[in-house]
Amino acid sequence: MSSEPIIKMENVCIRYGRGPEILSNVNLSLEKGSFHYLTGKSGAGKTSLLSMMYLAQKPSRGNVNVFGKNVNFANRNALAMFRRRIGVVFQDFRLLEHCSAFDNVALPLRVCGMNEKEIKKRVNELLKWVEIDRSTSAITSTLSGGEKQRVAIARAVINRPDVLLADEPTGNVDNDIAPKLMKLFIELNKLGTTVVIATHNENLIKEFQYPTIHLKNHGLTIINPEDGDKYAEI
Amino acid sequence: MLKYNNMRHRELPLSKDSSNLFLKVMISIAVFLFAVTLAGVLSINSMLVNWNTSILGSLTVQIIPINGVDKLKAKNETLIQQEKAVAMLEAMPEVQKVTPLSDGQLERLLKPWLGDDVDLSSLPMPRLIDVKIKKGEEINFLVLAEKLAAVAPQASLDNHKLWLNKLINFAGGLKILALSVLLLVIGITSGAIFYSTQTSLGLHKDIIEILHLLGAKDTYIAQQYAAKTSILGLIGGLIGVAFALPTIFIIAHLAQQIEGGIINEAHLSWGAWLTILSLPLFSMLIAMQTAYYTVKRTLEKMM
Repeated sequence: MSSEPIIKMENVCIRYGRGPEILSNVNLSLEKGSFHYLTGKSGAGKTSLLSMMYLAQKPSRGNVNVFGKNVNFANRNALAMFRRRIGVVFQDFRLLEHCSAFDNVALPLRVCGMNEKEIKKRVNELLKWVEIDRSTSAITSTLSGGEKQRVAIARAVINRPDVLLADEPTGNVDNDIAPKLMKLFIELNKLGTTVVIATHNENLIKEFQYPTIHLKNHGLTIINPEDGDKYAEI
Repeated sequence: MLKYNNMRHRELPLSKDSSNLFLKVMISIAVFLFAVTLAGVLSINSMLVNWNTSILGSLTVQIIPINGVDKLKAKNETLIQQEKAVAMLEAMPEVQKVTPLSDGQLERLLKPWLGDDVDLSSLPMPRLIDVKIKKGEEINFLVLAEKLAAVAPQASLDNHKLWLNKLINFAGGLKILALSVLLLVIGITSGAIFYSTQTSLGLHKDIIEILHLLGAKDTYIAQQYAAKTSILGLIGGLIGVAFALPTIFIIAHLAQQIEGGIINEAHLSWGAWLTILSLPLFSMLIAMQTAYYTVKRTLEKMM
């Protein structure tokens, strides 16, 4: 295991405009290859914390280090290169609605300049795995919520990211497909991907037990499965 | 600048932008104006070259004879002014050779008009001075006329050349004006592309944000805009030139109707036609570059 954390936050605060701080003096260190759930009530700051991790926003105060670099001082090209190593499943999917499922999943590879032959092979394989193979050419806006979520997950993992951040990734999928997607995340984690999953799904947390970053009162605590009752109360 | 992949896969639905039609029409009008003005500039240029050639090399100074009762005294006075004019001309660094015409040469020049029977010595004869100018040197005729008048009040320069010199100055001014119009057309078109691209960036900001979050660099987005806008530039340019060509022919035809042959000296060379016909490529390049750098500069302000 690498000694350098893949994501490190030091005294991080987030506030929007002149509003109250959503997160105050947060310290977090995620090692390479770790797997964490991110929990907390609505409005606790899960999405804000994740958005800092996928470099959509900078902290109001404090330092965020990703891949050993302080993002506060990274230039635009460096940020783009970091983002290519981070797969994100957004709560609202954020798919390109006018594009096909295939094009959405191919996007991270095209952005990197991969050749179309390789893209076709990889994307079709993954879409088959997430059971979207019948409607790969369908415009995304015509897909169901569950299908969109699977496309979003496929897009997040297509370039085998170093970090996978997922915001409620099983929120819209059927009960039988949720464990299958979780197994995909676990397989990626076994290959070395650092995974953070924000979720409210208690069944998931109980079935697949991993340490949990729990947000409460503008701060966070890490709860491990070994903590017994505390873990069960999440 | 544009990669093949990026030209095939455009995540930004730019072809549906409502500003596309505006831009196409705007570029068409700009290229039309540009082509017609450029044809004017190139015609003026060819006219200037012809005129300059005709007034370069030599000039003639005429000393109009002084009228007086004493013909001999009047003739001497005329000759004195001729000598002063010759001395002044010889002192000019641009002048290669000054040759005053002899009585015999003057008589030979006048005989075709006056016939053999007339005694030319009894007539007040003007004196003519042939002036050869050094190769590559130019003389401002208006200034020369003033200098000559100071030393020899009866001296006058060849009227046609003086008039032509004024016309050359006028045409030169016209050329600068036309070049300013060309720059203005380029500026206005670039401005329209700049604001249209900025509007489009605002419209597609959600998609651009997704592209950024997936690791797209600004150049990836800028290339899509450049590719789309360059096509608009090319189509607009082709339409503009298609309308400009008949307009240029009509103007040229009307100009040829003017008597005097001055405008006839204005013509477009093959190079000039080629330049006009290549304007769609030029408008394509301007549109592409403007869109590309507008996107790059605008996106730099985003995280």
